[in-house]
Amino acid sequence: MKGILKDIYKNRVWLLMILPGTIWLLLFSYLPMFGQVLAFKKFRIDPDGFFASVINSEWVGWDNFKYLFSTNDAWIITRNTLIYNLIFIVVGLIAAVATAILLSELINKRLSKVYQTSILFPHFISWVIGSYFVFTFLSTEHGLLNQFLGWFNIDSISWYNESKYWPFIIVFMSLWKGVGYGSIVYLASIVGIDRTYYEAAMIDGASKWKQIKHVTLPMLKPLMIILTIMNIGRIFNSDFGLFYQVPRDSGALYSVTNVIDTYVYRGLMNLGDIGMSTAAGLYQSAVGFILVIITNYIVRKVDEESALF
Amino acid sequence: MAKLERNESPVVISSSLGEMKGGGTKVVRKKHRDPQHMHPVVNAIISVLLGILAFTCIFPFIYVIIISFTSEESIVRNGFQLIPKEWSLDAYHYLWSMKEQLFRSYGVTIFITIVGTIISVLMITFYAYAISRPQFKYRKFFTFLAFFTMLFSGGLVPTYIVVTQFLGLKDTIWALILPLTMNAFYIIIMRTFFLKSVSESILESARIDGASEWRIFFQIIFPLSLPGIATIALFSTLGYWNDWFTALLYIDDPNLVPLQSLLMKIEANLEFMRQNLDVAIMQQSLFDTIPEESAKMAMVVIATLPIAISYPFFQKYFISGLTIGGVKE
Amino acid sequence: MKKKLWILIALVLSIGTILTACSGNEDSSTTEKGDGNGKPYEIKWYTIGTPQKDTDKVFEEVNKYLKEKINATVDMTQIDWGDWAQKSQVMINSGEQFDIIFTNGTDYVQNAQKGAFLAIDELLEEEGKELKQAINPALLEGIKVDGKTYGIPANKEAARQSVYTFNKRLVDKYNFDISNVKTLEDLEPMLKVIKENEPSITPIATFDAFLRYDYVFNAEMPFAFPFEGDTDHVINPFETDEAMQTLKTMHSYYKAGYLKEDAATSKDSWPMDVENWFVRMGGFQPYADLLWSRSAKYEVVSVPAEQPTTVNDSVSGSIQAISVTSKNPEKTMEFLNLLNTDPYLRNLVDKGIEGVHYKKNENGTIEDLPARIESYNMPSYSLGNHFILDLYKDDPEDKWEKFQEFNDSAVKAPSLGFNFNSDPVRSELASITNISKEFYPALATGSVDPEEYLPKFNKKLKEAGLDKVLEEIQKQFDEWKSSQK
Repeated sequence: MKGILKDIYKNRVWLLMILPGTIWLLLFSYLPMFGQVLAFKKFRIDPDGFFASVINSEWVGWDNFKYLFSTNDAWIITRNTLIYNLIFIVVGLIAAVATAILLSELINKRLSKVYQTSILFPHFISWVIGSYFVFTFLSTEHGLLNQFLGWFNIDSISWYNESKYWPFIIVFMSLWKGVGYGSIVYLASIVGIDRTYYEAAMIDGASKWKQIKHVTLPMLKPLMIILTIMNIGRIFNSDFGLFYQVPRDSGALYSVTNVIDTYVYRGLMNLGDIGMSTAAGLYQSAVGFILVIITNYIVRKVDEESALF
Repeated sequence: MAKLERNESPVVISSSLGEMKGGGTKVVRKKHRDPQHMHPVVNAIISVLLGILAFTCIFPFIYVIIISFTSEESIVRNGFQLIPKEWSLDAYHYLWSMKEQLFRSYGVTIFITIVGTIISVLMITFYAYAISRPQFKYRKFFTFLAFFTMLFSGGLVPTYIVVTQFLGLKDTIWALILPLTMNAFYIIIMRTFFLKSVSESILESARIDGASEWRIFFQIIFPLSLPGIATIALFSTLGYWNDWFTALLYIDDPNLVPLQSLLMKIEANLEFMRQNLDVAIMQQSLFDTIPEESAKMAMVVIATLPIAISYPFFQKYFISGLTIGGVKE
Repeated sequence: MKKKLWILIALVLSIGTILTACSGNEDSSTTEKGDGNGKPYEIKWYTIGTPQKDTDKVFEEVNKYLKEKINATVDMTQIDWGDWAQKSQVMINSGEQFDIIFTNGTDYVQNAQKGAFLAIDELLEEEGKELKQAINPALLEGIKVDGKTYGIPANKEAARQSVYTFNKRLVDKYNFDISNVKTLEDLEPMLKVIKENEPSITPIATFDAFLRYDYVFNAEMPFAFPFEGDTDHVINPFETDEAMQTLKTMHSYYKAGYLKEDAATSKDSWPMDVENWFVRMGGFQPYADLLWSRSAKYEVVSVPAEQPTTVNDSVSGSIQAISVTSKNPEKTMEFLNLLNTDPYLRNLVDKGIEGVHYKKNENGTIEDLPARIESYNMPSYSLGNHFILDLYKDDPEDKWEKFQEFNDSAVKAPSLGFNFNSDPVRSELASITNISKEFYPALATGSVDPEEYLPKFNKKLKEAGLDKVLEEIQKQFDEWKSSQK
C-alpha cells in the first residue's frame, strides 16, 4: 500500500495531467459499455427505467448474433467488408503519405496551400450529397460518363445495375473523400522533421527521391504503423454512407456493396431490435480488437518503439 | 560520386563537391536553383498531378454552388446540370427567410467549435503528453485505457442515458460539447508526435536546471509540438463543425440547433416526406415553399465555406520551413 | 496489470452507483404526481412535426383551460420529421420519463410488444369513456396487439384505398375513358398514346406495381393473406400467378419506355406541382382529388384500384400512446379524453388561438390568418379526432360525413387486428429483409424481367428460411383467430 502511495506521489504530475481525460473516458466511454450486455438479451422495457429494463430482459445467449452468420449473404457481407477495408488501408496509406510528401515538396508554397485546401473539400461533403455527384456521372440517361462514352460511339452502360464496376468506383470515392483529411497528419509530421537530416543527406549526395526514401519515410514510419494498427481495429466497420447512399441502395449491386453495417441496417428495418444491433456492434468491435492485439504484438516483436502499447 | 540518375539534381552533387560543375547548358542553368528543391520538370509534373487531384475535389463543390443557383423546376425536369437551363436565387431567398434560425445556428456552431476545440485540445494534449513520457509509470495502462474506447463503445442508448439521465445535459449546449471532447484517435496521434518531436535529453537538461514539469511543458514541449497540436486542433474543429448527430439526439430546443444539424434536418425532413407522401400531401402548406434540392445545396455552401476558409489559418503550421525554435541536437 | 484492471472496474462501478443514486433522487423530486390538492400534474407530451414558434403561446391557453377542467398542464415538445424515427426510438429504449408519445405503424406494434406502452383498455373504460365512444370501433379493433390496446388512434380515415391518379388535362385532351380502368393492364392503350405524342411527359410517375394483398409487414416482404379465396392462410405473394402476371405487365411497360430508366433506384418524389407525368398511384381519402388538385395547381382525377380496405397499416397511421414510464396515466388519459372529444381544445391545439392564428366566419367555418402558417402550423393528422375539427371555408360541407361513409364502406382485411410477433424468427427476417430490398424495387418497377428474377428471388427467400417464417406466422394467426371467437 505504501508502495502505491509513493508511486502516486512520484507520478503526481502525470496523473494530474491524465485526470480530466480519464474522468471523461470513464463517464462517456466506459460507463455506457455496460450496455453491451444487451447483445445477449431480448430487450423489454420496464417502467422503472433503463437499468430495470436491462436487468429484467431475458437472457438469450448467442441468439442475437445468429443473423450475422446464418445465410449465404452473411458470408458475402463479411467478405466485402474485409476486402474493402484491406484495400482502403493499403491504398489509403500510400495515397495519404504520397500526397503529403508531394505537397510538402512543391516549390511554390502558395500553390501547395491552395492544393491542400482543395483536397480537403470532399471531407465536408456528406455522402448524401456525394452520392448526387456520383449520380450525375453515372446516371444512365443524362450521366456525364455515358455522354462521354457516346462521343466514342460506345453504348451507354447502366451503371447502377452492373456490379462489376463498383469495387473500383467505391475505392475511388473512398480515396476522393479521404485523402485530403488523411494527408494532414502526415503533412504535420513532415513539418516537424529536423532540416539537418536533409542537409546531411544532401551532403552525402542524395537525390530528392533518396532523401525522401531515407529521411522522410523513416521519420513517418511510427505514424504510419500506428495509424495502420488503428485502422486494422476498425476492419469490420464501414463508412455507411459510402456503401448505402452512393450506390443508391440498388439491389443489383448488393453482391459488391453490401457490408456488415448496411446489412444490419437493412435487416433491422422491420424489426427494430436493439439486442441485434448491439450484437452486431459487439461482433465488429471484438473482431477488430483481437486483430489489433495480434498486430500490435507482431509489431512489438519487430520494433518495440513503434507499437501501440 | 553518385551516378546521375533521372531527375537527380546535378547541383546537389556540385555542392557536395564544393564547386559548380561546369559543362553543358543544362547544368549551367541550374546554377541558381536551391539545392533543396526538386528538378523543375518533376516539380511541374507533380504540380499538374496535384492540380488534377485538387480539381476533382473542388469541382463537385463548384457544382454544388451552381446547383444552389438553379431553379427548382429546372432541377426536377432536367436533373442537376452544369449549366442550368434556369438560374434562380430562390434557394437563397428561402435561406434568407430563415435567417434568424440561421444566425442562431451559426452562433451555436461557432461557440461549440471554439469552446469545444479549446477544451478538447487541452484535455487531449495533457493526456497524450503524460502517456508519452517514459517516466510515467502507468503510461501503458492509460494508453490502453484510451485506445480500448476506440474499438468498444457503449452504444447509443447507454451513452444517451449517461448524458441525459446522469449528467442531466439534455437540451443544453454542453450536450453538444462534452460528448465529443475526447477522442482516442487524436490522443494516439498526439502521443506519436510527442514521442517523436521531443527528445529526452533536452528535457533532462531542463530538469537539471530546475524547471518543473509544468514549465517544461509550456515553455519547451508546447512550441516544439505545434504542428501536432495544430493538427489535433484542426481535427477537433472539423469534428465540432461537422457534427450533426449529437444535436439530433440531445437537443429539442430550436435555439440550440447547430448549423450542420439544421442542414441535416432539412434533408431528413424532405426524405421523410418523400417516403410518406400521404403525410406530405396533407402538410403541403408546410412544404410548398421549400425549393428542395437547390436549398439543400445552398445550405451546404453556407455551412462549408466558413470552415473551408479558416483552414489556411491552420495550414501555416503545415508548411515546412516554419518550424518554431528548431532545436539542434 | 490485473490489479489495475480491478481498480478501474471499481472506479467505474462507484461512479456509476453515485450517479444512479443522484439521478434517482432527481427523478422522484422533479415529478409530482399531482393530486386533488391543487398541484396540477404536468403531462409531458412528445409528438411529431417541426417545432413552431408560437407553441408556448398556444399552450399557455391550453394549460389555462386544462387546469380548470382536469387540474393538469401539458408540456408539449415536437420532434422534427426527419429526426423522429431515431430520436423516439432512443428515448423509448432509454426508459425516459414522459407521458404521451406519438407513434404509428410498425413502430407502434414493435414498441407495444417490447412493453414500452401502457395497455389502456381499463383506462378507456374509466377516464377515457367518451373517447372510446367517439372513435371508430374498427380503428380500436385494428390497433390491438396481443388483444390489448396500446394507444389512441386518431379518428380519421380508417381505410386505405389505392387509386390511379391521372393528369386530367391529358385525359381530356385524348378523350380517354378512365371509368373502366380497374387494373394495371387497363392502362396500356393510354400509356401508348401518351408515349407517342407527349415527349415531355413520362407516362408513369414511378410507382410499384400494385398487388392487392393483406400484407403482414409491407408490400416488399413476402408474407401476405389473400383477400379472396382462402383468406386464413398466409402465403408468399411473389409465388402466385397473379404476381408473375402483374410484374410481367410492369416489365413490358418498362421496356416500352413508359417508366423512367432509373425507376428501381430513383428517389424522385414526383412533386405534384410539376406537370411531367400522366398517371401515378396514391392513397385516397374523401376529397383527396380536391386536395391534390389544389397543391398541383392543375386538375387531377383518380380512379380506384381497389375497394376501400381497412388494414392494420391504415388504422395505425397516427396513434398517441401512453408511455409505461408515465407517473400518472389516469390524468394523462383524462387529457387525451378531452383532446379527442372537446372541440374547443382540439381546435386550439390544432389551429391555435382564434383571432391570432385564424378567424372564425359566421357560418362556423374558419380561415387561416398569416400567423398560422408562419408560427403555428401543426400536423393535424397526428393529433387526434378529426371529426371535431372546424371546417375551412373552402372545405366541402359534408367532408366529415364523407369520411364516415368511406370508413363504413370499407372491407376488413383478414388480418385486421393481428400483429405478428417477430421474436422467434428474428434472424430469418433480417436476412429476408435484405433479400427483399435486393429484389423487390427492381421487380416492382418493372426494371427487370420477372421470368428470370422472380424465381431467383423466391429461391433465395426459401434458402433464408421463408418457410419457417410462414409457419410461425400461420401458427400465431391461428392462435389469434381462435381467441377472437
